[in-house]
Amino acid sequence: MRSIVKKLGIGFIFYLLLVIIFPFLLSNEYYLSVGIVIGLHAIVTVGLCLLMGLAGQISIGQAAFWGIGAYTSAVLSTKYGLPPAIGLLASAIIPGIFAFLLARAIAGLQGYYLAMATLAFGYIVQIGLTEWESVTGGANGMISIPKLQYFGDSELSMYYLIWAVVTCVLIFSLNILKSRVGRAFRAIHKSEIAATTMGIDVRQAKLGAFVLSGMFAGISGGLYAHYMGILDPQPFGLHESIKFITMVVVGGMTSIWGALVGTVLIDSINEMLILLSEYIPGLQGDVDTIVFGAILVFIIMFMPEGLVPRCRAFYEKVKAKKRKAAGSQQAERKTVA
Amino acid sequence: MTNVLLDVKAISKNFGGVQAVSLVDFDVRKGEIVALIGPNGAGKSTVLNMISGVVPPTQGEIYFEERLMANVPGSQYAGLGITRTFQNLQTFDDMTVLENVMVGCHSRTQSGLLACGLKLGQARREEVDMHHRALQWLEIVGLSSVANTLAGNLPYGMLRLMEIARAMVSEPKLLLLDEPAAGLNHTETADMTNMLKRIRANGTAILLVEHDMDMVMNAADRIVVLDQGEKIAEGTPAQIQESPEVIAAYLGTEEVMQTRGESVG
Repeated sequence: MRSIVKKLGIGFIFYLLLVIIFPFLLSNEYYLSVGIVIGLHAIVTVGLCLLMGLAGQISIGQAAFWGIGAYTSAVLSTKYGLPPAIGLLASAIIPGIFAFLLARAIAGLQGYYLAMATLAFGYIVQIGLTEWESVTGGANGMISIPKLQYFGDSELSMYYLIWAVVTCVLIFSLNILKSRVGRAFRAIHKSEIAATTMGIDVRQAKLGAFVLSGMFAGISGGLYAHYMGILDPQPFGLHESIKFITMVVVGGMTSIWGALVGTVLIDSINEMLILLSEYIPGLQGDVDTIVFGAILVFIIMFMPEGLVPRCRAFYEKVKAKKRKAAGSQQAERKTVA
Repeated sequence: MTNVLLDVKAISKNFGGVQAVSLVDFDVRKGEIVALIGPNGAGKSTVLNMISGVVPPTQGEIYFEERLMANVPGSQYAGLGITRTFQNLQTFDDMTVLENVMVGCHSRTQSGLLACGLKLGQARREEVDMHHRALQWLEIVGLSSVANTLAGNLPYGMLRLMEIARAMVSEPKLLLLDEPAAGLNHTETADMTNMLKRIRANGTAILLVEHDMDMVMNAADRIVVLDQGEKIAEGTPAQIQESPEVIAAYLGTEEVMQTRGESVG
């Protein structure tokens, strides 16, 4: 037992327990649906964290990959009657191909220019989804997308399915972080010249990061389509992309756990705002945009490294202080003796 | 002829009309330390950047082990056996010292995105091997006690040593050092000089750009002197110390006349 704990880490076991018991803690359809949405968003933000936090490549068009994934699976399973499993597979591959082509085209861009290019990509995709009516149903969207029924069609089974995917994505990303590829990502983030002289192909590393984050977003999109059952282009725009970035930044860009924490936090605030708006009439409309904007500004001003790295640093500091205190106490005792 | 590791043939570099380097020739043989010296703005760093593939020469050719390097992309230099350090440090501050050095192993390992994400056997083996090799080099440069410290928290002198470990961990045939003694005090410079000799003894040739004459005269087997982009002298440290052109380049012609006059008088 102890060896398992050691191998996985206490944090990871805590995460697993929380995920498993959450539906029993708050056994209510509403909370379950919030849990599902958080899971779907987390798959996207973990991928975005690899791209932005590790490889240092900003993307303001992540919702576009999400949308491409959602529509790929929805169209394949609804219009062509393919089983959702194949649709889901395609919803990983097709956004991956889009990410590859996009990254190839813009791999030489940095900073603002990269941000602009991904922003433009996001707009193009959303407009494409809206205008390609014969396939996507245009602004009216699609209906009766088949549900996933691998473990029955209850909301609870969907919750576990999605969090199983989140866990896989999380493990994959944590492995990447502590590997040759992850270090290459972090190296190109800091110094492209130094990375090149170490033998890292900067272009290839950027492509890898883009494709991986695009695929994660696509998988989440596919699951989203089958979970919702209906689809329209509205959620796949700039608003959602910014929300993803906010989640990653709040949690801490350099930390994969940070992406998860940020997602939970922002989605919870979002739900709270919706609940509050029922009681406070002034809170209707696009208040969430203002709140998230304010949070983003606050975090960047006072905690640019994000929540998780900040808490980790604080914890280390307290531990060091305790150790020091214990050391000096011991020393005192020795001198007294 | 087979003894020549790096052969630089008449390379020039033109930065938008400014002739930074013109028609410089020299070679580096296996297992020797060659120092590239010259006054500020002589073009030393530019030469080093051309040899390490950071900037392409405007004219001329660079051969490494008789292979023309003109069309080799910068990321393949490490794999062929050329690594370098930087004058203004290029460290990965948010990684630990150990991780920094492990990045240096990149060219000696292969596992890709999928293998790393799934922790396949190859990735796992390579990770253990990289870890082991990086620790070995940290031991050699004397930084094993700070292996798990973030590089950003290290003092300057240690970062210089870390850059050397990072460049050496892939066991290159040629190590390019851009002012390794810059910002170091006397003892640190002496330690660094010893380190260079140890690296040479291990079989790695070194091309060194340096201002610190103690280090150059002490460590170098041969010296190439640049002034205003041109090579003005080449020889052993003893020959260079005697060379009137070199003294003139460093002190200006007038002063040389004066010193000559004094010694004659």
